Amino acid sequence: MKFYSVEVEQREELGPYTLLEYRWSLGPVRPGQFVMARAAGYPATLDPFLARPFSFYDYDGKMASLLFEVRGRGTALLDLASTMEVTAPLGNGFRIDPGLGRAALLGGGIGVAPLKILSRSLDAAGIPHDVFLGFADASPAAVAADFPGAGVATMDGSAGTPGTVLDAADSLEGYGAVYACGPNPMLAAVKRAARESRLCQLSVEERMGCGNGSCNGCVVPVRGGDYIRSCIEGPVFHADVLAW
Amino acid sequence: MVGRNQKAGVDLAVELCGLRLRTPLIPASGTLSKEALGEVGGVYGAMLPKTTTPAARAGNPPPRIAETPAGMVNSIGLQNPGVEAFLQGLDAFDLGIPIFVSVAGDTIEEFSQLCGTLAGEARVSAVELNLSCPNVECGGLAFCAGPASVEEVVAACRAAVPGKPIIAKLTNEGVLENARAAESAGVDGLTVINTLPALTIDVRTRKVLVRGGLSGPAIKPVALRAVYDVSGAVNIPVIGSGGVVSGTDVAEFMLAGATAVQVGTASFVRDPQEILDEFTDYLKENSLNAAGLTGAIRGGRPVLAGGRDI
Repeated sequence: MKFYSVEVEQREELGPYTLLEYRWSLGPVRPGQFVMARAAGYPATLDPFLARPFSFYDYDGKMASLLFEVRGRGTALLDLASTMEVTAPLGNGFRIDPGLGRAALLGGGIGVAPLKILSRSLDAAGIPHDVFLGFADASPAAVAADFPGAGVATMDGSAGTPGTVLDAADSLEGYGAVYACGPNPMLAAVKRAARESRLCQLSVEERMGCGNGSCNGCVVPVRGGDYIRSCIEGPVFHADVLAW
Repeated sequence: MVGRNQKAGVDLAVELCGLRLRTPLIPASGTLSKEALGEVGGVYGAMLPKTTTPAARAGNPPPRIAETPAGMVNSIGLQNPGVEAFLQGLDAFDLGIPIFVSVAGDTIEEFSQLCGTLAGEARVSAVELNLSCPNVECGGLAFCAGPASVEEVVAACRAAVPGKPIIAKLTNEGVLENARAAESAGVDGLTVINTLPALTIDVRTRKVLVRGGLSGPAIKPVALRAVYDVSGAVNIPVIGSGGVVSGTDVAEFMLAGATAVQVGTASFVRDPQEILDEFTDYLKENSLNAAGLTGAIRGGRPVLAGGRDI
């Protein structure tokens, strides 16, 4: 896998999440795509060994940004990095179709990450949409400030509507397209709630080894008993493909 | 076409089981998808796609991978579409270099049938017998249980594919005896080693996270030792495999006795071209050719570029 060394040009904290911005000019970025990223220094540091997958938070044609939560050593080192190593944009993004009517965007926790760039693309396509964000508590809800008008829910009720992101949305009826990213149980619930929508696309969060389809480590179960790779066939899937 | 390898002024080519490889690097089975082939242009001397089995296998349920210190544990479970579909898609792996096909069966009969299928397949230059996958219920590591079972499966495969080189991929445990047994049963080469049986635990859920095979730089010294010992004990070529991430790692494996070297997990975190470039630089700085490195650590003298003696 080829990595590119990029400077972190801006670092921002959105609640407990970190936003890193870097210059990217080697080709387009589609909403829903991801990169494998790590703090620069390889191969001096062989541990942690693997890069981590992150959805693009935003891309304006010049600056790309990644939003993540520090969960282990890989993300802790990335959080401190002034230079990082990233792959080119990977995977399949969200389908954007003005013919589908109004869209709902749902993010659970750090699953908010791909919704910013998606919202930007929907705006560009003239597609009206609503954003709903669900968090465990009020602290990550700070990221909602970046989504004016978004409906917010927290599990502990400390901000917005008490409950899950689906409680913030109330109902998904009437939305032609539903897009969601978050933990699998949330995505499964969105899939059920979006049965009537013409398009329901889910961006999965899976551990990845390589990001280029080689290791088969990031698979998700599909209807029929097989597994397919999040990095190549996803990370955005049509909801009806997935087994859960 | 004058490749970057020639421009470097050193000869990277090696001969393996009667086949000329333009570089000593081979992808380890299961670590290079067809989607990633675009990146690996002139890196490898032979192509080696993921292990194929008689019927399609869905593979193991997730989680399948866990990162560990300087490595990772995987339990993929030989997910593959089965040999028929594999052969239908094989042209995608044709980069103008020899194609090695890795096979695994649950039984000796399955191994032998797979070899029989490949025997008549002109696109296949050699067959690697995966006798050491730690992640399947049947077969897998059991074939490496001892010299008797290695000898039996190799002999059956030898008979089924008399016209092509066969290479046995062995696990670390018992590798010396198993290598000798494979050699006496007529194998043409050995891949040493496969991932090491390993376990990761999630203390938060108090459950096993991944029970599978450990790969990456963490296992390199173990693999080097196995290559060194085995290459000193057999008269067939050894392909080194286990934790190679740099050009000097490639040199180490060849010095230890490997004729060719597999790059596996490293290709997830590096562009394999960089590994070849580093290896080329090492040869250049030391006025060596790739083929002259093999086993040079044993007191034999490395062959200098241009055939000069030291």
